Amino acid sequence: MMWLLYSARMKILLTALLLLLAGVASAKPWWIRGAASNETDFLPPDVAFRVAASVDDNIIRVRWVIADGYYLYRHRMSITAESPDLVTFAPAMPPGVVKVDPYFGSQEIYRQQVEAAVRFTRIDAGAHPLQIKVIYQGCADAGLCYPPITKVIYPQESRPTAAAASHPFETIAILAGGLAFLLAGLLLRKGRKLELPAA
Amino acid sequence: MNGRIAGIALLALGMAAGAWFQFTRGTPPSRPGPAIRVAAGEASAPSSDDLPPVVKIPDRLPQFSLGDRSGKTTPIASFAGKSLIINFWATWCAPCRSEIPLLETLQAEWAGRGASVVGIAVDHRDQVLEFADRFKIGYPLLIGEQDALDAAASFGVTSPVFPFTVFTDRRGEVVALFIGELHQPQAELILSQVQQLNAGQIELPAARRAITAGLSALHSST
Repeated sequence: MMWLLYSARMKILLTALLLLLAGVASAKPWWIRGAASNETDFLPPDVAFRVAASVDDNIIRVRWVIADGYYLYRHRMSITAESPDLVTFAPAMPPGVVKVDPYFGSQEIYRQQVEAAVRFTRIDAGAHPLQIKVIYQGCADAGLCYPPITKVIYPQESRPTAAAASHPFETIAILAGGLAFLLAGLLLRKGRKLELPAA
Repeated sequence: MNGRIAGIALLALGMAAGAWFQFTRGTPPSRPGPAIRVAAGEASAPSSDDLPPVVKIPDRLPQFSLGDRSGKTTPIASFAGKSLIINFWATWCAPCRSEIPLLETLQAEWAGRGASVVGIAVDHRDQVLEFADRFKIGYPLLIGEQDALDAAASFGVTSPVFPFTVFTDRRGEVVALFIGELHQPQAELILSQVQQLNAGQIELPAARRAITAGLSALHSST
């Protein structure tokens, strides 16, 4: 019994150790091994810049979470409609921080996180899933840039929509329809004789 | 009779109203299905799916050809016999611009010692030529778009980042790959090992170990 217990515990410990080792291995994320290199100094682009979008009434909110020591260029960010029925307006972005570059001059950048608000309308009352295309480009302070990243995103509803799912006149229409049906039945019945087949 | 007609009309009206509201209620879903989602659409903790697969840096200089400034297809092998400082860059990348003076200095200082800088611009040709003129880039340039990305991938850099610099010895062995803006101390550290390799004073594994340790020490001191 003790041995079994011991064995089970050992199994758990070994599993935990293996998971830990796997974690350590994947904590060195960069993509190359071999010759001497400084590959672990930088994050892969999707870890340095994480993007998500949500829908709030008629506004799509696109949010970037930016790793410490990394930044995105404001003028290189774009959000456009991807689903065919969608019309988006120019995104509202907060002011960024000015970065002065000896070659590019003054440029606005974002650090830590930034949220863009995009007003939208839909032509076909939602026949297609909402779909947007975001493009962004950023760099690391340590002296490295990523090429522009393009992603197609399905923004997620930011709150439950049980109330929004029903049309405001729907209940009235159902009640009116039922009442009309009853009235019609009553009117049709009026003056109608029961005719039984002759025995 | 009038009553009957009115009844039929009301019934039709009621059914039509019901049908209309059923239809406009949105037969198709008025919001996106939760099942469809792009992998990186969530700003949650990165999963292992976000990480590109591990690719090995080649031991030897891979074979590829790209157009030079005049458009002539030039194999990288045409620089054979020299130690190479192969710098991948793009015109839109600020750190790539910053390191150009250092690359010019390295070209001037190391040309007499059998080494050459080769710039590989991953960008539109006309923009690169205009940029090279404006910044008076004197070292050899190769230019490409997808073909230059393929060249970057042949060094293991499959998820492109700029700049990055590959150092080879004169036999074509890939000694080091430096990601990000190169600075004088890192360049001198790597080139001194390349020089010792060329002179036969050390073996490649020892040179790589010395570079790894040296880069790590420089990185932690900054």
